[in-house]
Amino acid sequence: MNGIDFSTGLGDAIAWPWPIAVYLFFAGISGGALAIALLMRIYKKQTQDTPLLKAAGVVSFVTICLGMLCLVLDLSNPLFFWKILLYYNLNSVMSLGVIVLLFYIPLTAVIAAIALRGELARFPQLKPLMPWLERLAAMRSPLEWLTLVLAVSVCAYTGFLISALIRFPIINTSLLPALFIVSGLSAGAAMAKMVAVKWFGESLHSEEMTLLHGAEWPIMAVEAMFLFMLFSGLIFGTGPSQAATQAFSQGGWSSLFWGGVIGLGFVLPLMLNFALGQKFAHSGRAFYLTGGSVICGMMCLRLFLLYAGQIYTI
Amino acid sequence: MLPRRSLLKGLGVGSVAMLAGGCGSTDPAAEAGEGPNYVLLFDQTKCVGCGRCEDACNQANNLPEGVARLTLERQSDRVPGAVCPRCGKTECNCDRKYVRVSCQQCDNAPCVMVCPTGAAYRDEKTGIVTMDGDKCAGCKYCIAACPYKVRFINSETKVAENCDFCLQSRLAKGELPACVSQCKFDALVFGDASDPKSYVARLLAVKNTARVKPHLGTEPSVHYIPIAKPEV
Ligand code: SF4
Ligand code: SF4
Repeated sequence: MNGIDFSTGLGDAIAWPWPIAVYLFFAGISGGALAIALLMRIYKKQTQDTPLLKAAGVVSFVTICLGMLCLVLDLSNPLFFWKILLYYNLNSVMSLGVIVLLFYIPLTAVIAAIALRGELARFPQLKPLMPWLERLAAMRSPLEWLTLVLAVSVCAYTGFLISALIRFPIINTSLLPALFIVSGLSAGAAMAKMVAVKWFGESLHSEEMTLLHGAEWPIMAVEAMFLFMLFSGLIFGTGPSQAATQAFSQGGWSSLFWGGVIGLGFVLPLMLNFALGQKFAHSGRAFYLTGGSVICGMMCLRLFLLYAGQIYTI
Repeated sequence: MLPRRSLLKGLGVGSVAMLAGGCGSTDPAAEAGEGPNYVLLFDQTKCVGCGRCEDACNQANNLPEGVARLTLERQSDRVPGAVCPRCGKTECNCDRKYVRVSCQQCDNAPCVMVCPTGAAYRDEKTGIVTMDGDKCAGCKYCIAACPYKVRFINSETKVAENCDFCLQSRLAKGELPACVSQCKFDALVFGDASDPKSYVARLLAVKNTARVKPHLGTEPSVHYIPIAKPEV
């Protein structure tokens, strides 16, 4: 280079701290859970309100609201949040995301309310809402398709959001949105499954659960492949990218990657399901442990990418 | 300030119009060649690191304690412990040099690109990247996006800031940026590089100048005259 550069900056070294990672996590779970349940519904041409759909509706609405809370609390002044809703810049990924979320959040609430209208009808206070819900339920199919598209967009958008940061070789890659979609799908499916079994009376070995279980391993394989591609992209990249591969081999963030992302996200689920025998693999304990570890693995992935990503700069 | 207030009033209409218009308008620099091209030249061979520029900037732009729009990074090429080639001592200040750290005023500014509200924007008339604090939501996306780490949140107003060549504080009144006017050693030159007769354009034509991280494609408008190392 031509010998002129500086390393000190004027702002904080980490512009986006952990609440943003938690937001990426919640948004991924939300989009993933709903996308999986809607895909299942469309694939199996279901007409009844399955426990999985009810669970996914509740999960995705609650998680996206929690995610929004993280986002707002991380603003330099949370009371400024209205400015993002009023001013738009269509060149900005964040602004596009706001537009997607503006439709997605109410739609998750509608999808959940339609699926749960039997349960909701039991509350006398909600009586006046029921005719409206019936009307919405009549347009259910197009609403579900729209929500499916938006749910996948939400997962992808969280990836685009951080991959737009050109100075960080680890996250400035077009792979990120794809990686975020698959990891969102696997963690979202795990979460929806657990909630369906725990609170909506789904049986552990129902046809749907078996189908989901079968789909999980290919999804995880694709996720592993994307992670590997991310890594090889860095190795074969230019100087700063190569330097950033240290994130995978040195310091606390590399332990988070190997222990959290790989260990909890891939190795433990595989062991629980294949190494400890058929009987254990089919038990409720294995079911919850696997789901929990997949979800933790996904949280670790977001944390790792956000922190290690921001530490290794060009 | 006035146009912003009226913008605030016309909010609903404004945002709808922007949605409809596709809003490609944030980057008038695309039509380069038109209008002024303000640049700042930092001469490392003249800067002694006195810090007058920092003080002048903080004052001119009313910055609260603890934040700054510019700073000087002290650098050294010396191998620690080795004898200084100039004075022969092992401990000396001979080869200290300073690099100005501030917004590089990118022509392709990532901060303007990512800002969701358009608070970080390029001034139409001057092409200078500046801030509309009233629109800033404090999301810090611009801080994460700036490849030069020169944006920060003003601890008083809670909105993001960058060096804008004193556009809002002094340029509007026809004055030079505060740092430039206070530099006693002529280490800073400011001017319109698109005017071939300007001092800064003539300097750029004859001096060996460099920019920080030009390979990023951000096209910074801050130029540096580096100290050439004798051993190179
Ligand atoms: S140096 Fe940073 S703050 Fe300044 S214009 Fe470029 S990206 Fe924006
Ligand atoms: S912190 Fe303010 S200026 Fe920066 S991107 Fe967010 S809204 Fe725009």
